[in-house]
Amino acid sequence: MLKREIAKRVFAKEFEACRELEKSERPASEADSKSPNLLISPLGLILNRVFAVGVLTELDSIGTQNEMWKARIVDPTGAFTVYAGQFQPDASIFFSTAQVPAFIALTGKARIYEPEPGSVFISIRAEEVNVVDEEIRNRWVVDTAEQTVDRLEVFSDALASGYRGETLREYLLERGVSEELAEGISIILERERAPQEFAKQLRASIREGLKALNFEAEDTAEAKADQKEFVLELLREMGGGKGVDYASFVNAAVSRGVPEEVVEEVVRSLLAGGQCYEPKIGIIRLVG
Amino acid sequence: MDEKIAPHLEELTRALGDIDKTGIRAEFDKLLAFHVPPEVAKETILRKFGGKRKVLKVKDLSASLKNFEIIGRILDIGEKALRPQEGVQAGPSKLYTGVLADETGSVMFSSWKELPGSVGDVINIKNAYTRLWQNRIRLSIGEQSLVSKVSDSSIPQLSELSKTSAKKLIDIGAADFSVNTVACILRLSHREVPVRGKQSKVISGVLADETARLPFTAWVELPGIDIGSIIRIEGAQIRMFRGMPSINLISSTKVSSVGVEEAEKLAFTFESAAKDPALLKIEEIASKDSMFDVVAAGNVVSVRPGSGIISRCPECSRVVLKANCRVHGKVEGVRDMRIKAVLDDGTGAMSVMFPRELAEVIYGKTLEEAEQLMFSDISKDAVYEDLRRILTGRYLAVRGNSSNGEYGVSFVAESAWVPEDDLAVRVVELLRRLGLDEEYPGSGVSRGGISLA
Repeated sequence: MLKREIAKRVFAKEFEACRELEKSERPASEADSKSPNLLISPLGLILNRVFAVGVLTELDSIGTQNEMWKARIVDPTGAFTVYAGQFQPDASIFFSTAQVPAFIALTGKARIYEPEPGSVFISIRAEEVNVVDEEIRNRWVVDTAEQTVDRLEVFSDALASGYRGETLREYLLERGVSEELAEGISIILERERAPQEFAKQLRASIREGLKALNFEAEDTAEAKADQKEFVLELLREMGGGKGVDYASFVNAAVSRGVPEEVVEEVVRSLLAGGQCYEPKIGIIRLVG
Repeated sequence: MDEKIAPHLEELTRALGDIDKTGIRAEFDKLLAFHVPPEVAKETILRKFGGKRKVLKVKDLSASLKNFEIIGRILDIGEKALRPQEGVQAGPSKLYTGVLADETGSVMFSSWKELPGSVGDVINIKNAYTRLWQNRIRLSIGEQSLVSKVSDSSIPQLSELSKTSAKKLIDIGAADFSVNTVACILRLSHREVPVRGKQSKVISGVLADETARLPFTAWVELPGIDIGSIIRIEGAQIRMFRGMPSINLISSTKVSSVGVEEAEKLAFTFESAAKDPALLKIEEIASKDSMFDVVAAGNVVSVRPGSGIISRCPECSRVVLKANCRVHGKVEGVRDMRIKAVLDDGTGAMSVMFPRELAEVIYGKTLEEAEQLMFSDISKDAVYEDLRRILTGRYLAVRGNSSNGEYGVSFVAESAWVPEDDLAVRVVELLRRLGLDEEYPGSGVSRGGISLA
């Protein structure tokens, strides 16, 4: 039975610091050819699939022969590097029309590339990507912080116990820690030289990130609703049902005093809300 | 030659016990005869017979487990003679079936070989497996299983094990066939159903205690018992229905009201049991074979194909593909809408099915509106693509029933909503937990595990 891999919640800072989990380190039952490539973080988190929500800050088309997108998605602790190519058609289509910046949610598989010893590149190969709102981003940060802090506490406990290897694994299991995390922590403590240093930095990062969260999105909600109405009206007027050229639509809106960012944002939310869509790149069309 | 294989044999013996007696040695020799390198042969055997074997209790059994070890007392055993089919090489001709119990429960077993024990004896089974037989879990002892009699053991005595065990609802599963429990009635309804041509009265409803809820059916009258009653049930049957255990009250079941005094000592009251179920981690849901009426929340990480507008057979409601029903052939399908999505909370992932009413709510479009979208667009997947655009990444809570199968957990939602818990409150709590390091810089972590206390 091949179970669906869980989409782990992990901050970019911890994700970036992951290294490959050698097959020989895994429990015998898992180390066959079908098992996914697993990474292990400095805190002992074992992962393959991740779910991340952050701000899309950079987007490049880097493919020469085939389509390939490279994106940077920023969370409060750092940035994820994300790739989508011809084998991730849904994610590629998304990136081909995505606007920078935007809150986006994505699931994907962790990838590691080590061209030479000492230089390691960790990235996500995107599976599904979508535009989300700030509320979803905030919730992701809080959810991820909670799961990371839970892990940090287990990790501190493991360090403080002074046990190693099999004894440590059993100690953790006895304390109700999941089998996977117990395994991960006992593996990583064999490897890491200064495990507490990373934990300390991560704690500081999360603390800063949480303090920076803005929960007062509601204040601006009303003003946004008005702008949305105006842009929607303009889109109708210009024959949105048949489709309009996006660039000329933006020009028309700007000439009526709506800033370009606002138009972009409204169109994005219309797209996200399903009220309009892009039959072709650069053409937007109202639904219904 | 022998010198080369001796260490391997030694290792096998250490991992698996007496390999000469159990035929493992013969298997090893056979592999060598086929020129399999001894190193590889050893690994093959270890994989097959399992070097690092899990020891399970009866309550841990679930469908299709392989290669585990279990110790239990034989409660009952009988044998069936099997007549070999014509032309088929004579295989095992007897099947031994019975019941095995430990302090956590009892399970039916079947064995292809004679067991080294009879009623009352404790046996140890290595390399056992389970399968589903008539919707319930059966422990299987096959040719490869190693069975030995255990003389001294902590397994409770026969007299104690034969008593039907009292169980909390959460512990009732596919391995049980008869249970005692104390629970209160949350829902109750009377129906008349035809049974073998006769109209029979049947009561169905929902039972609850502090651990879980389960559906029940009563084929007998329950005088004086109503919603809110706390009852003691002795000798109820467990039936499996759609992967979910259901408590069946039959004529031999004893049902009695629990008195006020005793009810006060219980860990639940009707009020507490009737409260909305608490939010569970998906990890917890995935650790059970099935769960009835539970709540989970997570992000929609994927909207699966087959979501959107579908067509159902007017006769049997099966999904119709290309106007063809699997059972009724060419039919005029009835339009319906549903969503199948993967909900993931970082601890587990499950596939959630939203029927039409819920699909309309979370999608924000009615079936009719979705149909318009379907007709106004050239892409035949317009609705599916629209759903993905709207739902992927969203955060949802669902309430319903789960069952765990070959493809992981599937959950049928009965209600769904966007949870409104206060993120700001959780942030304050998180900052408090993160702050501990700063306040006590000398403790725990930062000095490499040396505590100053």
